[in-house]
Amino acid sequence: MSKFWENFFKFRERQKNGREAILLKIPVFQELTPRELKTIQRILHQREYTEAEVIFAEGDIGLGMYIIEKGIVQIACKNEHHILAELAEGDFFGELALLDDAPRSASAVAKTPATLLCFFKPELLDLIERDPKLGSKILFRLAWTIGERLKSTNEQVKELMCVAQKRTGVTE
Amino acid sequence: MDAKKSGTFVKITFFSILAIIAVVFLTAVSSIVKLVIISALMAYVLDPAANLFESRGMTRTSATAAIFIIISGLIGISYLVLLPLLSEEIKSLKDGFHPENTAVMVSRIEELLVSNLSFLGVRDLHLLGRLQNSMARTGDWMFGHVLDAASLITSLILIPFIVFFLMKDGREFQKAFVSIMPNRYFEFTLYLFHKLNTQIGNFLRGQFIDAIIVGIFSVFAMWLVGVKYYFLIGVFAGLANLIPYFGPITGALLAVILSILQTGGFQMALYVIIAFTLIKLLDDAIVQPVIVAKSVHMHPLTVLLAVLAGGKLFGILGMLLSVPVVGFLKVVLHEGIMNYRKYGIKAV
Repeated sequence: MSKFWENFFKFRERQKNGREAILLKIPVFQELTPRELKTIQRILHQREYTEAEVIFAEGDIGLGMYIIEKGIVQIACKNEHHILAELAEGDFFGELALLDDAPRSASAVAKTPATLLCFFKPELLDLIERDPKLGSKILFRLAWTIGERLKSTNEQVKELMCVAQKRTGVTE
Repeated sequence: MDAKKSGTFVKITFFSILAIIAVVFLTAVSSIVKLVIISALMAYVLDPAANLFESRGMTRTSATAAIFIIISGLIGISYLVLLPLLSEEIKSLKDGFHPENTAVMVSRIEELLVSNLSFLGVRDLHLLGRLQNSMARTGDWMFGHVLDAASLITSLILIPFIVFFLMKDGREFQKAFVSIMPNRYFEFTLYLFHKLNTQIGNFLRGQFIDAIIVGIFSVFAMWLVGVKYYFLIGVFAGLANLIPYFGPITGALLAVILSILQTGGFQMALYVIIAFTLIKLLDDAIVQPVIVAKSVHMHPLTVLLAVLAGGKLFGILGMLLSVPVVGFLKVVLHEGIMNYRKYGIKAV
């Protein structure tokens, strides 16, 4: 009997290991029920990128966030040609574009062949209209994620200020 | 460099041939294209209602089905209550006008024209005969085209069918279309869809609600003034209001002519003009800013020329569809050029 339940849960686990598991790693979707996750999966766009293919360029219209299902993506500044971050499976980027209309502030390039899931503003707005409960859940989590990022940026600014103060102290 | 140039040339030639084939094919099946366009516009108008039902916990399919049941109910009620009235008015229009005062009035106008414009060679106009003939023809046309045309029955079956699936699976259709776009243009295509949905969708919904409000106002006003075909005029004025500029004037003109023919005097016509002016003022000051706001902003001259061109090319349907079509082109061109300039979207 226990073997049966073990296999049963393994089966459930295997099912979860796919796209659902990746979505559950994203803070924006973490508190969603399985039914709500299915709704999200239906509105996601899946795109395949080849190695070194540009996902979006700095200055392009930003419409939403990308979730990496497979592969590695580099975020880089076009002018300085320097890599800001290297993201892998389960990571996400571009979530700010879900809220504002500003152009992309950096470029994203696939370092290896990649499969991305795209969650865009028109679909989010549509979702808010037809399923306000789910829409507000996502918006709340999105606000939380951006708040967390702001906190970490504040910490970094504080550290930098301390370093700068120390340096000016030394030179004086 | 030469290879790159020839590659671009091949691409342009290929897409041009593809575009020509598409245009030829669409022209060949123009009646189906017309049905699809009308259905798409109706689906656009009804989409927020389906969203509202969905937000109350229904699935998309049941929300769409619920809307169809409600519309069928409304049509059923209208058929029982309003159609006999409309049919009676059209039949009466078909039989022509025979009140004596109309004949007196028309002959008085004819005398006036002949005596004052004889230097232009105006003689024996036979206005009354012509008017009765044209009235009967208008009635025949309306009877033939609005009430019992065989093609209309086909459309009446096909349009709801297409509307149902466009409403139910519209998102999947859009997603499937976006999925075939190259990676470089996929986000921009979605952005265009988003812009079109908000701007054209708002415009169509606004115009539709506006037409209903103007129609109700017109029916009520004409009934109050005492015009004989108040319901027919009101419905016509409401529908005509869908065509910018020309619609409201045509609606008012029909009412004025019918009121002159009914009474043989200008007093009722004056009341009709006042009523339509008030309706137009009310529409421009209150209804339009509230309902048609946030839609495509187009210069009045663009709208006017678009309506004229649409009318010339495709008749009344062209006049109705010209503004959304030009709005669509405006959004696509504007966004395309803006993004090309601002963000430097390059051809692959």
